[in-house]
Amino acid sequence: MRSLFASTLTVAVAAAGFAQPASADTVLNVVTAGDVNMVDYVKDYLGPMFEKTHPGVKVVSVGTGPGDAGSQTIYEKLSAQKAAGSTSWDFDVLVIHQKMAGKMVQEGFLEKYRDTVATAKMFTRDSARNSLGTNVEGFVLPMFHSQTAIAYNPDLVKDVPNSYSELADWVKKHPKQFGWNGIKGGMSGVAFAVGWVTAFGGKAEQLVAGPYDKGVETAWDGPLASLKDFNKNVVITPGNAGTLDQLNRGEIAMGPVWVDMFYSWMADGKLPPNLKVKLIDPGMPGQPMYYAVPVGSPQKQLAEQFIALATSPDVQAKGIVERFNWYPGIDADNLKGKVVDAAWAKLFGDIPPATLAKNGQSFPITPYFNDILEAYERKVAN
Amino acid sequence: MSRSSALALLFVAPALALVAVFFFHPLALSVISAFMAEGHGPTFANFARAAELYSGDIIHTIFVVTSATLLTLVVAIAISGALTLSASPGFVAALKFVYRWPLFVPFIVAAQCMRTFLARNGLMNNAFVALGVFDPMTTSSYLDWRGMVITFAWKQVPFVTLLIAGAMASLDRATIEAGRDLGASRLRVLVELVIPQVMPTLLVAATLSFVLMLSVLSVPMMVAGSQPTLITVDMAFRINAYGDYGTANALGVISYLIASGAAIFYLRHTLKDDGR
Repeated sequence: MRSLFASTLTVAVAAAGFAQPASADTVLNVVTAGDVNMVDYVKDYLGPMFEKTHPGVKVVSVGTGPGDAGSQTIYEKLSAQKAAGSTSWDFDVLVIHQKMAGKMVQEGFLEKYRDTVATAKMFTRDSARNSLGTNVEGFVLPMFHSQTAIAYNPDLVKDVPNSYSELADWVKKHPKQFGWNGIKGGMSGVAFAVGWVTAFGGKAEQLVAGPYDKGVETAWDGPLASLKDFNKNVVITPGNAGTLDQLNRGEIAMGPVWVDMFYSWMADGKLPPNLKVKLIDPGMPGQPMYYAVPVGSPQKQLAEQFIALATSPDVQAKGIVERFNWYPGIDADNLKGKVVDAAWAKLFGDIPPATLAKNGQSFPITPYFNDILEAYERKVAN
Repeated sequence: MSRSSALALLFVAPALALVAVFFFHPLALSVISAFMAEGHGPTFANFARAAELYSGDIIHTIFVVTSATLLTLVVAIAISGALTLSASPGFVAALKFVYRWPLFVPFIVAAQCMRTFLARNGLMNNAFVALGVFDPMTTSSYLDWRGMVITFAWKQVPFVTLLIAGAMASLDRATIEAGRDLGASRLRVLVELVIPQVMPTLLVAATLSFVLMLSVLSVPMMVAGSQPTLITVDMAFRINAYGDYGTANALGVISYLIASGAAIFYLRHTLKDDGR
């Protein structure tokens, strides 16, 4: 099923995205596992900018869909081609999630390119080296970081909770006013559940850095039982967008969201401008998206130049922070003076840099991550 | 073999090959994968996991899809009955014009519309509040199993109506008129004379709708929260979150079994039909 599915998909993707235009000499295929906004970011913003400085090059932006499913699709195509004996393929730059980045490095799908890119020295955060417990140093650079937080309506929430335990009390006092999407409707819910387990189950360091020990799971029984109890007084929303929709219509007063989606929706007029976000104690997870180059890319050099442009301070300031409300992939101090004050104030207004540094967690390493999800399925959703 | 039948086989071959390659082959692979542990040979572990984690969702799926099928039938019979028995040509023409529209709307679009229509402060409740039927404080959200049933039914009613109304139109009008002449109400004619005569079509339409709704991923993803949810969502989750094709395929096999219950039903009735 797996191989056939992947090869069918390959045919479909090839037909849809890679019909190469006859006019351009060289095509650079940038494949993004992400929502439409990320595909558009390459198509409308980065691509044209790169084409201007590289005459004769055409950037083709292809999306494989949001969430880990999008990265899974990229992996399936590459592994199907590898299994079929191909040595080169039509993917040049990949934009992938953390879970898959680790797997692809382990299985030898990615090129070590970091040393050839001049901007590499601007990445000092741990996420540029460590992807959910796998050493990915040299193979990936973060395109941006995104962060989850609790969005709330200050008109309806006067006593804003500062932590997970205060939130649990708040929900008891205000039933059906908090909404979240469970773990099968998008990553903001996954992040909320992981944050809950980390907050009440302890061993936060070990979850993020390893080593893996199956026994740690037993410490989650209490937190998951209390989460099941917590769920009795909440609304389960349909998806990341479902939570934002219900906040917008005033059906819920609070819920976990991705900060970038929250600000983009607000900028589009899909959320009331008075809503705020708060990164509660002891923290909630966020994640980077990674730029990677597959081994066997026919345009390796161009791909590296593309990533160098994408991680340059100017692009990170104007594209990542100002246009899309993401946190920069490179260290933020490289952006001083390049981001307009209003954008900076918006991004760091509700969640100051110090709070982000203190409460912005990573997702746990893959085996713990999977254990948390399955334990949730077994003990809470069941 | 005569030349003409060899030629006929040749014509059928591409279609057969398509079915073999794109249906039977993946079907066989997925059934086999459901009984295999990765790298460890045959096992029932995938089914054990499916039963442990998703038995609630399996029951929920059967409940939602069965309810949606029943609601679809009731509404479709009402529309077909009105089309067949109404005495007002204007009304029949208007109804005929309107009822087919959802046929051309994909499930995913229907689901997206229902998300805002059925929400607590959505269009439907707001309309009722404006009409003074509901009090704004007592409205509730329908974005749960009820939302799924409504969305499924909204989407399937025109298809089922098309089949049933067609069958009703081809009935011998004499039976209906005889009933009316003897003083039976329209409702009684519908229930006691018309429905029994179109029963085979009714069952076929119900079966086809049931199997189709069983396979939809977009509606449970978009309309309802994920606790509980339909097994299509669980299958997608097994693959996307864990890369676990084994359990996803075990859920798939369970889905085949539910569908084949309906398929046996369908075959029994179509075969009986052919044999008359």
